Amino acid sequence: MSAMLQLSGVSKRFGGLKAVNEVSFSVEAGEIFSLIGPNGAGKTTLFNLISAIFKPSGGSIRFEGEDITGRPTYALARLGIARTFQNLAVFKHESVVNNLLVGLHTHLGANPLSALAFWGPARREEIRARERVEEIIEFLEIEDIRDLPVGTLSYGLQKRVELGRALAIDPKLLLLDEMVSGMNQEEREDIARFILDLKEQLGVTIMMVEHDMGIVMDISDRVCVMNHGLKIAEGAPAVVAADPAVIEAYLGTRREGRA
Amino acid sequence: MRTGHFKDSYAALVALSDSRVVWAWTGVLGLALLALPLLVGAYSLTLAITILVAIVGAIGLNLLTGTTGLISLGQSGFLAIGAYTNGILLTDHDWPIWAALPMSGLVAAAISLLVGVPSLRLKGLYLAITTLAFSFIVNYLILFFESVTHGSNGIFLGDVTILGFDLSADRPLYYFVLAVTGLLALGALNLGRTRIGRAWLAIRDHDIAARAMGIDLVRYKLLAFFMSSFFIGIAGALMSLQIRFINIDIFGFLLSIEALAIIILGGLGSVAGAILGAVFLTLLPEAIRILLSLVVDPNASTYSKYIYEIRGITYGVVMVLFLRFKPDGLIGLWRDAKKFFANWPLAY
Repeated sequence: MSAMLQLSGVSKRFGGLKAVNEVSFSVEAGEIFSLIGPNGAGKTTLFNLISAIFKPSGGSIRFEGEDITGRPTYALARLGIARTFQNLAVFKHESVVNNLLVGLHTHLGANPLSALAFWGPARREEIRARERVEEIIEFLEIEDIRDLPVGTLSYGLQKRVELGRALAIDPKLLLLDEMVSGMNQEEREDIARFILDLKEQLGVTIMMVEHDMGIVMDISDRVCVMNHGLKIAEGAPAVVAADPAVIEAYLGTRREGRA
Repeated sequence: MRTGHFKDSYAALVALSDSRVVWAWTGVLGLALLALPLLVGAYSLTLAITILVAIVGAIGLNLLTGTTGLISLGQSGFLAIGAYTNGILLTDHDWPIWAALPMSGLVAAAISLLVGVPSLRLKGLYLAITTLAFSFIVNYLILFFESVTHGSNGIFLGDVTILGFDLSADRPLYYFVLAVTGLLALGALNLGRTRIGRAWLAIRDHDIAARAMGIDLVRYKLLAFFMSSFFIGIAGALMSLQIRFINIDIFGFLLSIEALAIIILGGLGSVAGAILGAVFLTLLPEAIRILLSLVVDPNASTYSKYIYEIRGITYGVVMVLFLRFKPDGLIGLWRDAKKFFANWPLAY
């Protein structure tokens, strides 16, 4: 296995606050890598650094050996990095199909002139795009809602559409930010199954930020734990769960003299 | 029962409509528009040309404000640029209209990139004020550069002909404007069903997610400005062909507000909405005039004294009622009607 994503000494300061402090780790191709930690640990900030929503204050990020630090956000989709957002970030006035079609943006080539004419290649690529979208709809089992505006759907379904939109990019690396928060048990299990299918059938590397320890422990290959912007542990789920530093971060320390 | 939910090919999904009924009615509408000059008088034909020009402008503004979500109050500026470019090229440089017309659009579009650059950082009210300031600057510059623009003297368009037809006559002008409007409306519909139109919608709904989907915000926002102003520049040029005398006073601030009213009333983000809005708001003052003449003696002094106030107030009341009861505009009404009649008369 080779490192798909490699972070070395990545930091992000907001004024005096070190939201992410010299974090280094690598995500191997084909694995499910989870990032966990208490609230405010810097997980989502780190995600925003990887997907270039923020620029890091220091350190470097390499994707498939290539330095992508400071690349514009939109350039990452073309490289094969897709993400979902912690709070819904769907195009809520548009239909499910249109949301997924936006995900195909980098795979289409229409320019203003060919788009105005909608003739020949511009039309053919749209037809191909519709075929691809139907495949994703089938994979995520959302056939019956394909023409509805996404804003009218339930939270769980909107999350699923967001996942579909990220899949349309045809990613090598998929960043999932708190995919199952706010979902019921059935929806969580569905999402966990989709994530495993993605890894096994499509070979997508998955990095996720997750608070649901059940899912993290069940499906992750490796887990990285953050607290106060620092990485405090990394390893297999069972190893990390037994790490004293992790237990301390989540539960605090025993008071002296009570042990 | 017609449901229209069953498509048997992927090509049917990207068609503007795969319903024969829709195409048949579109054909009927086209024939009716072609036959119009034979059926109505000069005044109605002038009105029809005004509507067509408004449609072009409204579609253009809708690309920027309705589809991409960038509010612009600078439309009168781009209309002025289009009209003046057309006038200057036709009268001072003897360009033929088939070259001057697209050039008017291109000049307006090129200048819009200058306004577009601040828009990359501004949204909402801030952008609205920036574009408003721009339209004032345009008006001032047109007055100032008298050697090119004829300044406050205005430009009088001489004979304009295309393929031997004199565009100063109403009928040839009507057909010319109709053809241009038809082409541009089709172009706008086409843009909407490609990745470009969807990128604009994505920017409107969630710009950070749009970036994560690989959409370059700088490029697509500037493209929205460019395309929108191209349409509006063409609308300005067509306007100059109709009024034949271009003067800066025509391109006041109210024109920009009216343009916004058209697309809000018609339905934001929809080409059909822009068309409905343009038709409705251009005909509204006429309808009010006709209705009032039925109930009030047109020669009564109080009536003639307050005619503009009465029309203005009615106009305003209609706008408010729409915003309150039908915020998705005329196109929303149209969709509701379609839904109703799809199962009519037995819904269950």
